[in-house]
Parts: sequence; C-alpha cells; structure tokens
Amino acid sequence: MVSEKRMTQPTGASTSVELTIATPEGVLFRLPLAGPASRLYAMLVDIVIVLGTVNGIGLLGYVIFAKVPGFGFMVITLAEFAIGFAYGALLEGFWNGQTIGKRLFHLRVIDQAGLPLRIEQAWVRNLMRVFDALPFAYLMGGISVLSSPLMQRFGDRVAGTLVVRQTPLAVPAEESWMRQKYNSFQEYPTIAVHLRREATPELAGLIQDALRRRNELAPYARREIYRELAKYLQSEISPFPDELVERLSDEQYLINSSGILFGDQRPS
Amino acid sequence: MILNLERFQVQARPRWTSLESLLGALESRPDRRLNPAEAQQLQELYAQTATDLNRVTHGALAPELRQYLERLVARAYAELYYAPPTRSEIWQPRRWLRIFRAFPETFRRQSRYFALAVLVTVLGCALGGLAVRYDPASVDVLLPADYLRNPGQRVHEEEQGQGEHRNSAQTEAAFSAQLIRHNIQVALLAAALGVTFGIGTALLLFENGIMLGAVAVRYTQQGFGLFMTAWLLPHGVFEIPSILIAGQAGFYLARLLLHRREDRNVRQSMRDWLVLVAGLAMMLVWAGIMEAFFSQHHAPVLPYEFKVAVAVAELALLTIYLLLTGRRETGAKAR
Repeated sequence: MVSEKRMTQPTGASTSVELTIATPEGVLFRLPLAGPASRLYAMLVDIVIVLGTVNGIGLLGYVIFAKVPGFGFMVITLAEFAIGFAYGALLEGFWNGQTIGKRLFHLRVIDQAGLPLRIEQAWVRNLMRVFDALPFAYLMGGISVLSSPLMQRFGDRVAGTLVVRQTPLAVPAEESWMRQKYNSFQEYPTIAVHLRREATPELAGLIQDALRRRNELAPYARREIYRELAKYLQSEISPFPDELVERLSDEQYLINSSGILFGDQRPS
Repeated sequence: MILNLERFQVQARPRWTSLESLLGALESRPDRRLNPAEAQQLQELYAQTATDLNRVTHGALAPELRQYLERLVARAYAELYYAPPTRSEIWQPRRWLRIFRAFPETFRRQSRYFALAVLVTVLGCALGGLAVRYDPASVDVLLPADYLRNPGQRVHEEEQGQGEHRNSAQTEAAFSAQLIRHNIQVALLAAALGVTFGIGTALLLFENGIMLGAVAVRYTQQGFGLFMTAWLLPHGVFEIPSILIAGQAGFYLARLLLHRREDRNVRQSMRDWLVLVAGLAMMLVWAGIMEAFFSQHHAPVLPYEFKVAVAVAELALLTIYLLLTGRRETGAKAR
C-alpha cells in the first residue's frame, strides 16, 4: 500500500494537506487531513463536555456520599480520572473514530492505511495524551502536528492513526452549461478543439467556479470577473469570430466555453 | 478531457446513490458485519465507482465530482478491507477478565525491557545512595522535601501524629484516591516517554532511583531503617515494581518505534503496550489503598515487624502472579 502526502490547491481557497492512498486494485484516492486549528476547536468542545460530565458526577457523588465524604471524594476522583482517558478512547473506538467535538467539526480519526481505526489504536492515542499535553497546552502535540507530514501528534504516530476532514458532500449538481440546448461555439470546431487543448485544468476550474458562484457574487464583482475571464479566453486562448462574440454576453461566453470544455463533443 | 461528463453522470449516478445508501446502512450498524449478498454488492459497486473515479481523475475537469467520488471510494474501501472485531464480544465481561492472565504473560514475554528498567533504576539507586553515604551535604540537592532530609523529625512526627490518623478512614480514602491518580499519571508518563526513544523513560527511572537510594541510605544512617522499611514497603512492593513495569512499557515502545518497519504485527505489539499499562494501573490502585490505609499506621498501633511481614507476603504473591500465571497453558501450547 503506497501512501504519499502532498500539498494541493483544491477548488476551495484554502490550502490543504492530503494523503493519497493507493488501493490494491490500483485506485488512487485522496484524504484531506485535518489541520491543527480545527482539531484544537474539536478538543475544546470535548474538554467542555468532559468537564461537564465530571462535574455532574461530582455533584451526584456529593449527594450520594453525603455521609461518607472521604469515600465520595475517592470515587469521584477516580471516576474523573478514568473518564478523562476513556471519553476519547471509547467514543473514537466505538463511534467510527469520532468524539462529539470531532463530529461537530467534521473530523474523524482513521488508521494510516485509510481504514477505520481499531479500539486498541483509540486507547493508545488517547493514553499518549499525557505526553502530547507536555509541558502545557498540548505544546508537544502541536509541534508534532506541524512537523509531521501527516499532521500526526505523537499519540497518532505511535498508534498509526491520523485525523481527516470529512465534510459531507453531495453529488455535484447540474451545471449551467448542461441546461442549454444549443452551443454556438460548436459551429467552430477548430477553435473549440483549440480551446479544449489549450485550457489548463486550473483555468477550466476557475471558469466553472465563477459560473457556479454566480449568485454568491455581488453584481458588480460578477460583471468584472466574467468580463476579465471572457477577455482572457478570447484574446489568449480561443479567438472565436468577432461577429459571434459581439452577440454574446460575457456570461454566455463562459457558459459556452465550459460547454466545450466539459460537455458533449458530438456535433450538434 | 475526453470524457463526456453529462452523459457519464446520468449513467453513473444510480450506482453512486446505491453505494451511498449501502454504506450508510453499514456504517450505522454496530458490528459492521456484511451478509454474503451485501458483500457482493459492495464489492461490485466499489469496483464500478473506483473505475468511475479513475475516469474522472484522468479524463475530465471536474474537481467537485472527483472529490465526491474519492470520498465514496474511500468509504467503500474502508468497509471492504476492514476486518471488524466482533463488537458484541467486547461487551462480555469474560473478555475483560482476560487481562488478569494477559498481563503476566506480556510481562514475561517482554521481560528484557523490564530488566533494562531495573538496571537503570539500580544505577540511580547506587548513585543516590553513594552520594549520601560519602557526601551527606548532597541530600539538600537530591531530596526535594524537608521531611526526607530530616528523618528523625519525620519519624517523631509520624509516631506522635497517631491521633490524627486514627478514626479517619474518610481522610485515608481521599488520600488514597489522590495517590492512585498521581501514581498512575507518573507511570503512564514513563510508559509514554518511550516516544523519546526511551531517553525520557530512562531519565525518569534514573531520577526515581536516585531518590530511592538517597532516602534509604539517609534513614538507615540515622538508625531508622526498620521504621522506613515498615513505612514504605507495604505499598512500595507494588508501587516500585509498577514504576519498573512502566519503564518496561516505555522501553518496549521505544524499541517498537525504532524498528517499526520490521515489526509486521503492529496490532499485537500495541496490545502488549496497552496490557502492560492496564496491569500497572491495577497494581497502583492496590498500592494507593495500602499506602493510605496501612502504611501510615505506625507502632504501637501496628508493630513494624508485622508491617514488614505483610510487605514480604505481598511481594511473594506478586512474584508468583507475575511469574507463574498462565505459564502452564503457554507451555502446553508451545509443545
């Protein structure tokens, strides 16, 4: 099983680190790794939950052991101590690698090989917190995450686990170019082929993104962006005849272009 | 850019949707077992979707679709290649009781790391003891707390302070909980410090040894040997070995990290570390109880000879447990 890490620039604006996994069938897929910030937020949520639980138990214990405060203290202290470690270990082990905080922030702990983590791994990575928390505020863990190619804290390195981002994804929706029945660019097959050949994946992605975010953009910004993109395509990549281009809005120009780039190539 | 995305999506969407719903059903199932029909369906859908992913990766500019398919393939891959533990078994108490046999077995299997931990601690003891023996002034540096430096005063206080301890099982219970928590934390740290390739573990054990050696020599020099033995040993016979086992776990972890590639059965090796940690935690629970409820009582309430005898008996039981439990079965299996 080959895995490698690399920096990529996916569709979104944020830079992210990914783990590429090659399955025995020769399929490659990428897993986006969780950064230190989201992990910190998830941990803070978990700490609040643990403290809440522990204090609840403490109150309960105080009531139950009112006559024997010493034994009450003993039970509470040991219960708190156990919960501190068991919370993460049991939840991650039995709840598909997620604590409540991790679920809120769409994080998941998995095995380095892309498989679900095992219960032993969950225990090891949570017991190792005593080291990662040193000397204060998870400094060791933080240093380890920032210096590790897989963003692992020491507990993860020992247990062979990593934390991935797992935002829910839906099947991509229908694109604007799919809706139009007729694409005037297809009347110029030579220029169209040239466009397909010359456009880099980044440029194509940019056009697609600009169209997809049509309604998120302010009208002025949208006009500007579409004009820039259309002008660039027309002057640098695929000069369609002026008499055609003059009749098209910049937006229509881009829709036609993505139809050429992504769509059907049969002559209409 | 050869792929016709539009037609492709229309054709493939049904299989993606059915894979998604199959995965949703599996992931929400606690034991994650597949029946044969599901396994076959999962295998087929996985293969098809993986092919789709390859086509999108190499043949089209569709970053979002690619991300979506990658996610789907990753989930299916995880379900296909993961051999789940049967989760229902995990909740059987009998399984949990196995720790009592697994602990001594693991202890013996990894005994060379225990020997290393003993060696480091003994070196520390020797250094601490010799330092105090030949340079009494060094106690100020070696022993942090006042009571360790002035045994006479401490013994006096302890023996006079009987009244305070009497009739205060409550205080002792609270005290024992604090001891247990503190000791487990320290021991766990020693075991976790294995990630520093054992250097941290060794330093911690060495420091522990120095303290031990210095205290022993100091008290013996001033004629409180019997008091100290009776004071420290009833819990010490569990506490000291458990710190040594923590050192054993630490060195074992260091060795694992240094030879990760060679070690094929990572799962078994990680389990050994966990078993050692769980075992020493149990030992420290006992040590904490003894320290709070038994060790703090001195003569005339409890004669020192009696306390030492209890300690010796404890040590004998611990030794028998660690060295002999499960030995016959393992031996029989080996034959």
